[in-house]
Amino acid sequence: MGFVNMRAFLWRRLLAGAVLLFGAATLTAQSAKSPETLYTESRPAMGTVFTIECYMPDADSADRVMDAAFEEISRLEALLSNYQSSSELSRISREAGDSPVVTDPETFRFLTRSLYWSEHSHGAFDITVGPLLRAWGFKARNGHVPTQQEQKGLRDQVGWEKVQLDPAAHTVRFTTGNAMELDPGSIGKGFAVDSVVALLRENGVHAAFISAGGSTLYGLGTPPDKAGWPVEIPDPRTPGSVATTLLLHDMSLSTGACTEKFFVQNGHRYCHIFDPRTLMPVEGMLQSSVIAPSATDSDALSTVVFVLPPDQSKEVLRGLQDTQAILFLSVPGASNCVVIGASKSICDDHTPITREGVRP
Amino acid sequence: MDRRSFTQGLSALALVSSASLSSSALQTAAGAAAAPAAADDTRAARQIAHTTINTPLRLGLIGAGSRGQELVRSFLRVPGVRITATADVYPPRFEQLDKVCGYQVARHADYRALLDRKDLDVIVIATPLGLHAEHVLAALKSGRPVYGEKTMAYTIAQAREIVAAVAASKQVFQVGHQYRYSPWIRAALARVQAGEIGDVTHVLAYWNRNNSWRRPVPDPSLERLINWRLYHKWSLGLIAELGSHHMDIANWTMGSYPVAVQASGSICYYRDGRETDDNVQVILSYPGGRRMVFTSMTDNAKQGDQLWLYGTKGSLNLTLQDATFFYEPRKVTAVKEEKGDKKQEPVVTSASYSPANEMPYRGPGKSVEVKDPEDPTTAATRAFVYCVRTGERPIADEHVGLGSALAVVSANEARVAKREVEISAV
Ligand SMILES: NC(=O)c1ccc[n+]([C@@H]2O[C@H](COP(=O)([O-])OP(=O)(O)OC[C@H]3O[C@@H](n4cnc5c(N)ncnc54)[C@H](O)[C@@H]3O)[C@@H](O)[C@H]2O)c1
Repeated sequence: MGFVNMRAFLWRRLLAGAVLLFGAATLTAQSAKSPETLYTESRPAMGTVFTIECYMPDADSADRVMDAAFEEISRLEALLSNYQSSSELSRISREAGDSPVVTDPETFRFLTRSLYWSEHSHGAFDITVGPLLRAWGFKARNGHVPTQQEQKGLRDQVGWEKVQLDPAAHTVRFTTGNAMELDPGSIGKGFAVDSVVALLRENGVHAAFISAGGSTLYGLGTPPDKAGWPVEIPDPRTPGSVATTLLLHDMSLSTGACTEKFFVQNGHRYCHIFDPRTLMPVEGMLQSSVIAPSATDSDALSTVVFVLPPDQSKEVLRGLQDTQAILFLSVPGASNCVVIGASKSICDDHTPITREGVRP
Repeated sequence: MDRRSFTQGLSALALVSSASLSSSALQTAAGAAAAPAAADDTRAARQIAHTTINTPLRLGLIGAGSRGQELVRSFLRVPGVRITATADVYPPRFEQLDKVCGYQVARHADYRALLDRKDLDVIVIATPLGLHAEHVLAALKSGRPVYGEKTMAYTIAQAREIVAAVAASKQVFQVGHQYRYSPWIRAALARVQAGEIGDVTHVLAYWNRNNSWRRPVPDPSLERLINWRLYHKWSLGLIAELGSHHMDIANWTMGSYPVAVQASGSICYYRDGRETDDNVQVILSYPGGRRMVFTSMTDNAKQGDQLWLYGTKGSLNLTLQDATFFYEPRKVTAVKEEKGDKKQEPVVTSASYSPANEMPYRGPGKSVEVKDPEDPTTAATRAFVYCVRTGERPIADEHVGLGSALAVVSANEARVAKREVEISAV
């Protein structure tokens, strides 16, 4: 197992699923009834590493289905990447300031869902934050606080309400009259995971696990004789401990955290997740995880609940089917673990991580 | 070589080989006043320009498989286009296509029924190679503009028949060589044609992958329909499916069709009942002794998909996403001789051999910057719609299609015959 695989492997065991089931069983045992074998493959995509595990009858069929799945991921990367100037999203970013740009239904659907979450989160979720991440040095990996002057200029370049969609004509238009920088970073991986899930189902796969760099996960079906795909959510308050183990069954989980992408300036830690309304990095949040039937939604929502105060997050999640969130805050004194849509006991339930990811 | 002599060189070659030629080369041969490459660039820029014209255009698609769906995605980015009907022999494609379009597209099991419809303005063909000619010819006969996927035809006779049919029908025909519309490839080749890397004598192209090229098949009876690339009936293997794009770029670079070809191939790894080779090697000869080499293997992806144009003054690397120039260190410069009886410094002799001179260059190159580096297929489909609306001749026209078909089909013939095959342009 190479470094990359190992990382993805650990991540799965560190992160989550929908059936909040305790005492999850191991993944290693193979059902006697099922002649299928678990195959796995990892490939770099979308600035991270995607890993797919699936139960298939033989290596050849696994190879074919994996190949089709990874081809789908790279197709979507070529469609949505803001690092590839030939992507459809980049084309829209460049041209929609001049005049309305007609786009294909898939890209339009992606934009519609993105703006849907912007609207429903009162702007906490926003794919127009590209210039913000650039100004703060997160794109070039040289994090720094921009000057006051630079920060002022950003106001005109950022804001989901500047993006107008016309569903009848399938057009996108920026009211700014200028190019914008659409950034799929907080929803694109989930969108890709959902597409892969659909493709796997079309190909008759009934048990698979997809991980987009560990941050967006999906458990399709269940491993033989199991109730779901086990995932552990780490407890960032006590490094090295697990908050809870979940089983994902036809369910996705996305996690946002500032533990990997941040910079420190003058002793202050700046997170790569921004509040688009204040144009400032989010403060006081350690980690957010959202469980939802759609990976596109859990991906977007993990940012929403990272940005919003927990009370407002509860409002956003209210009434959403099978959607739950677990938040860890760094606010001293106050309750620093919040659960939305499930039992609060998860917060107090942490145990040490074991190699197998199984709770003792 | 300056720009003028390069252009003259092209026309001389074109006349010598009578290698008939892309529209630009034809203009050159005919001694058109304007520099043809520049004229083509202006035309290309006009055709791919961003547009808001949205007069309705009803599209009929024959072959709604993977490429057909991808083309539809691109066509739906062109204002005014609607996918009205499709024909396919494999029913699951219909639902897939509806999903791509977001609406119901009329379905036909037989392409002739689709062509009988009165409500279609253009026909797009993305069926397996062996069926291209039948579908393209019938579509042209139905009196509509046609976008036909590459390789243009399975045999040279069919390719010529298409060339004649386009002329007779006076319809717009565009072949699926979308790299002719790639902004960075166009920009880079314009600089090559202006002499930036000297005389280009070699094109080396790779398309290497590490996968079996097989697709999942829901039922064994569908194997030859879904994995048609692996069987001779409809496929010319890697030479056509991957090499045709590179050979087209070589034709474009050389300003000529190839005049001869050698090729080989084998099955070295995937012994799974396939008929087409899992690795191929092709050497195309161009007028003036110039060469294009294409190799493809499917069990190691290190080289990926890329082309190198080698010229006397530098090299150009082309990929699916970018273009990068490299320059030769060797340079002869004239020495200004001092007047008077100033003594010339003697040269000190030595016998050193520096391996560094033979080492590959591993430093960075100079990448080609373009304003709108959009997806080539998106640009190509928009250009086709522009041509349909204006009646202008496409950049990737039937002559471009013939050029790469000549290269592909002849290469396959050489591979089978295990000998060099001459390519006649007429
Ligand atoms: N320009 C490019 O970059 C590019 C890329 C991929 C493929 N292509 C070309 O596109 C063509 C199609 O390739 P693909 O990958 O989509 O193959 P595919 O097998 O996915 O699609 C071909 C479709 O044609 C259908 N078909 C077969 N016989 C038919 C008939 N008689 N009438 C109607 N439909 C029929 C098949 O059912 C299938 O749906 C090939 O010629 C290929 O070389 C071009």
